[in-house]
Amino acid sequence: MQKPVPQNTKDIQPGNSPAGISSGDKWREWCDRHAGSFFIAPAVTLILIFAIFPTIYSMVFALSRVRFTGDGLKFRYVGFRNFAKQFFGSSEMHFLGRTEPVSILGMIIFAVIVVTVLWWLYRSWKTATWVRMLGRSISAAMAIFLGWILCASLLSGNSIGTLYTTLFYVLFGCAVQFAIGTGLAFLCSQPIRGRNFFRVLFFIPLMVTPLGVGFAMRMIADVTKGPFEPILGLLGLQDWVWSASPWSARFVMVICDSWQWIPFIFICMLAALENVPRDHVEAAQVDGASSFHIFRDVTWPQVVPVAVTVLLIRAIEAFKIMDLPNIMTGGGPGSSTESMTLHSVYVWRANDLGSSAAIAYLLLILTVVVCASFFNYVVLSQIRKA
Amino acid sequence: MKDVIVKFDPQNRSLMERLFEPPAIGKMAPFTKVVVYSFLAIWSFFVLFPIYWVIITSFKDAAAVNQGPNFIPFIDFQPTLDAWRINFTADPYCDIASIARQIYLLAHNSVIFVLSPFVSLQPMEPQICKIYLAFTNSVVISIISTIFCVAVGSMAAYALARIQYKPKFGNIMIFVLLILAVTLMTTYSGIPWWMSSAVALALFFFLARSIGRHFKMSLGNGDILFWMISQRILPPIVVVVPLYVMFQAVGLLDTHLALILLYAVANLPIVVWLMHDFFANLPIELEESAQLDGATRFGIFWEIVMPLTRPGLAATTLLILVLNWNEYLFAVFLATVKVQTMPIMVAAKNTGEKGVLWWEMCAVTVVMIIPVIIMSILLTRFISKGVLLGAVKG
Amino acid sequence: MTGNRTKASVRFDGVQKSFGTVKVLEEFNLEVQPGEFLVLLGASGSGKTTALRILSGLEVPSAGQVYIGERDVTQVLPKYRDISMVFQSYALYPHKTVAENIGFPLKVKKMPKAAMEAAILDAAKQVQLETLLDRYPRELSGGQRQRVALARAIIRRPSVFLMDEPLSNLDAKLRGHMRAELKHMQATLGITTIYVTHDQIEAMTLANRVAVLEKGVLQQLAPPSEIYNNPANLFVAQFIGSPAMNVIHGSLEGASFLTNGAKVETKVKGQIPKAVAGVRPEDCAVTDLGKGSINGQIFTTELIGDHTLVTVNWGNDQIVVKAHKDFDGKQGDGVGVQLPADNLYIFNETSGERIR
Repeated sequence: MQKPVPQNTKDIQPGNSPAGISSGDKWREWCDRHAGSFFIAPAVTLILIFAIFPTIYSMVFALSRVRFTGDGLKFRYVGFRNFAKQFFGSSEMHFLGRTEPVSILGMIIFAVIVVTVLWWLYRSWKTATWVRMLGRSISAAMAIFLGWILCASLLSGNSIGTLYTTLFYVLFGCAVQFAIGTGLAFLCSQPIRGRNFFRVLFFIPLMVTPLGVGFAMRMIADVTKGPFEPILGLLGLQDWVWSASPWSARFVMVICDSWQWIPFIFICMLAALENVPRDHVEAAQVDGASSFHIFRDVTWPQVVPVAVTVLLIRAIEAFKIMDLPNIMTGGGPGSSTESMTLHSVYVWRANDLGSSAAIAYLLLILTVVVCASFFNYVVLSQIRKA
Repeated sequence: MKDVIVKFDPQNRSLMERLFEPPAIGKMAPFTKVVVYSFLAIWSFFVLFPIYWVIITSFKDAAAVNQGPNFIPFIDFQPTLDAWRINFTADPYCDIASIARQIYLLAHNSVIFVLSPFVSLQPMEPQICKIYLAFTNSVVISIISTIFCVAVGSMAAYALARIQYKPKFGNIMIFVLLILAVTLMTTYSGIPWWMSSAVALALFFFLARSIGRHFKMSLGNGDILFWMISQRILPPIVVVVPLYVMFQAVGLLDTHLALILLYAVANLPIVVWLMHDFFANLPIELEESAQLDGATRFGIFWEIVMPLTRPGLAATTLLILVLNWNEYLFAVFLATVKVQTMPIMVAAKNTGEKGVLWWEMCAVTVVMIIPVIIMSILLTRFISKGVLLGAVKG
Repeated sequence: MTGNRTKASVRFDGVQKSFGTVKVLEEFNLEVQPGEFLVLLGASGSGKTTALRILSGLEVPSAGQVYIGERDVTQVLPKYRDISMVFQSYALYPHKTVAENIGFPLKVKKMPKAAMEAAILDAAKQVQLETLLDRYPRELSGGQRQRVALARAIIRRPSVFLMDEPLSNLDAKLRGHMRAELKHMQATLGITTIYVTHDQIEAMTLANRVAVLEKGVLQQLAPPSEIYNNPANLFVAQFIGSPAMNVIHGSLEGASFLTNGAKVETKVKGQIPKAVAGVRPEDCAVTDLGKGSINGQIFTTELIGDHTLVTVNWGNDQIVVKAHKDFDGKQGDGVGVQLPADNLYIFNETSGERIR
């Protein structure tokens, strides 16, 4: 039974539509009622198939010894051996670095860290629920573990492994990028001419292909043929090769990574600074505050929530760093500029799929715990204040 | 407090005051001006120099590159078009006729791609102009993947903004357990993956209907949103190896489809995050009035809501386009022969027998980054209108 | 703590302001007496807020000078002008408590803590906020936030107060209450106040003198009663008064106003082919059909409570008359309207000028 098509407005009178609906309409109505599922199903399916399932499958890899055979892969369950290899076994130096001998300074600082963390844990015992306590215990355990590695390797004068190299890139890199990015945003938020020009210009490095950035930086950082050669000559450093020493190589990585990522912080912080209500600043100006005073007391507190969110987003991306060390130094010298992702790739190339998956999982755990902790204890409290 | 006023005399300002005090509201003191502009100039130089270096290196020859740094064209060295010739016209398959044939093949293959479940793909010619191949692969994959990603992500974001979901926690647990079971089954016993997946899916629906009824605790939209957005934390390295195995089992290794799907999933969290913010900020009265007039959900989405978010949609699309264009890790793991994208081609230049041929690599790099720079300039104009800020604040 | 401070006068001398090609303020001349409450009244876009911001130092005029007291402050930064300002949005710092907000001007001047706290408490007492000193702005109601902004403005005892539509974000009842509070406080403190608003009721009730602005030009500067009873032009006449003054189109011939065939006696003489007669609703009266100066049809009647507003169609115009609350005319009835010559204002239609 077809619904009569209204010919003019007189046909669309109250009480004029037929009671029944045709089967075509029934199908359309069923679709509309289940629209919720249809809208969200593609996204959920994609994420399940291409993200969730591979992650679980990857755990199977990590728990097995995997071999290529004639007809595909062969898995042999080996429990946590791949993981243990990273911490205690053959990969320990590569992953954790040298952790002995531990110096006195290392011991002292480790003791300080443990005491602080335990005290913080104790203080939250009274005010937190079970779930929160569990979360805090995980954060505390990670903090103590990382503290131990730091004290045993770096602070004792030993070399560090890919775990701490990654953390160095994240922590030191984010700090540098945040400082410079916010500084640039502050400069650009002054009454200057051409603010949009600078905004466009400063944004470009963020979008340039990281691979391209890697090669460009490698060319520029070349001490014999690159543009710095005359400068180094002037400073008497002709024979210095930055890629020969672990720490200088790492610093150069951070500098090159910063070239690409400072724009991100710059754009977000500039937008945040521009969005501080003009009224507040003017009221402070009328009340007689100096520019510095206004920035410290009026502008900055309103910008802090955005700042910590931006920092979190940057940190999440920073853990995945791979292109730059791969191209500029191939992970060298030795393995001192390898990030964990790169470490995993190299192990995969060496056909040890199990260890590769194990390292990838360790990176995942590290990222999740560090970022979730930062989010819970810093970002949420700032956003709540606002 | 009166002292403050008496001391200040606008007519006779001391030198210190003239230098350090702003002359009026909305202007900077001369000293501040100098400091600010010089820092900005320094940073501008810092930003532009690597790009400048790459561009001029693409115009150098071997001697100009290897004999120390040469900074200025025509003064330090003579620019040549060698690198460009080698990449473009010196390649035997880069003449007009070949390119015409390849464009035809591309159109032909696109049609077949759409019909792929029913028709088998005709392979592209193996000997074709390399840079052309890489460029078109990049263009095709980026554009299709972006459209797909933005479409799926917008729909999900809209649904999460307007429709209330209450998935039961128990059902989710069952689902996860079943995934685990399927993985273990496929790995350790000989059951083919499609069989175990089908059984698991059937089992899930059955269990959800029967036991699922009794589960009380359910999650909300906020949790689903958080789950989707937090996928971004997942380091791609965790999933590439299993994906390699998966794609190989399905025969999708080294195909366009594989990369398109992967890129879409990798950037889905960003689209959902940004678009959800836009949709949530639209006044709901518009949609309610359309509902009263009898429009379907999809009708409202397509006719009313999407046009209203055009600037945000455009900004998001540009951003995802750039991210897809730059993607390297997935491409290098899963597709190296037939589906080379620009980044892979650039990386391939890295292994020269006589050492890296920097000038050639720079030429290819310039081709790779010029589109991105243009897109980023467009994107900045959106950002300066404050379009994407709301998302960051949330 | 009223204290003995010199009250300052304020003078605008030929001030002009343009933003790009748009001229927002034209040849603005105004002199405010010490201790006076002056209201800048106008619609949005009239230039009143711009004038205030130029006085505060947040904008610099394109031409002209501004004087506070005897000092030329045209180029002086706001912080040296000894003024304080209450913004329309109150501009309370969200991350500071009420006490810290109020004390901010003193903190800037680096006042010692004990004295500062005493001053904060005193200012809070004057606006009845002493119990809320530890709260944050987001925990306060609109009226409370407004009082915090007020307290912050008075704590420094400046020479001049500036207020930019401070009551516009409050609901009607609270607005009435705050009006009375503001007037009382200004009278007690005696500080010269410049107050910007678009609400003519605020202007009438608060001001010592009202400056009416339209499109950047000063229309009239006079005490409220004069603005009401003796408007200088058509714009002022229609802007003040609620309900608005009626306008009747016609022409002025000698001592009579001719409109739509009716002839009304006027007190002014002139020959103006396109004129407008203005009469306030309370100055005219309804009578029986045929007995009034003009006779028309009732468009609608509205019972206000203590009176009825009768809208009468007259040609292309509508005349609103205040009638007795028991008026029983209905829509469509014929009715007469008396237009007494004493209360009839005649204006030139093209220039808006009042004919005297």
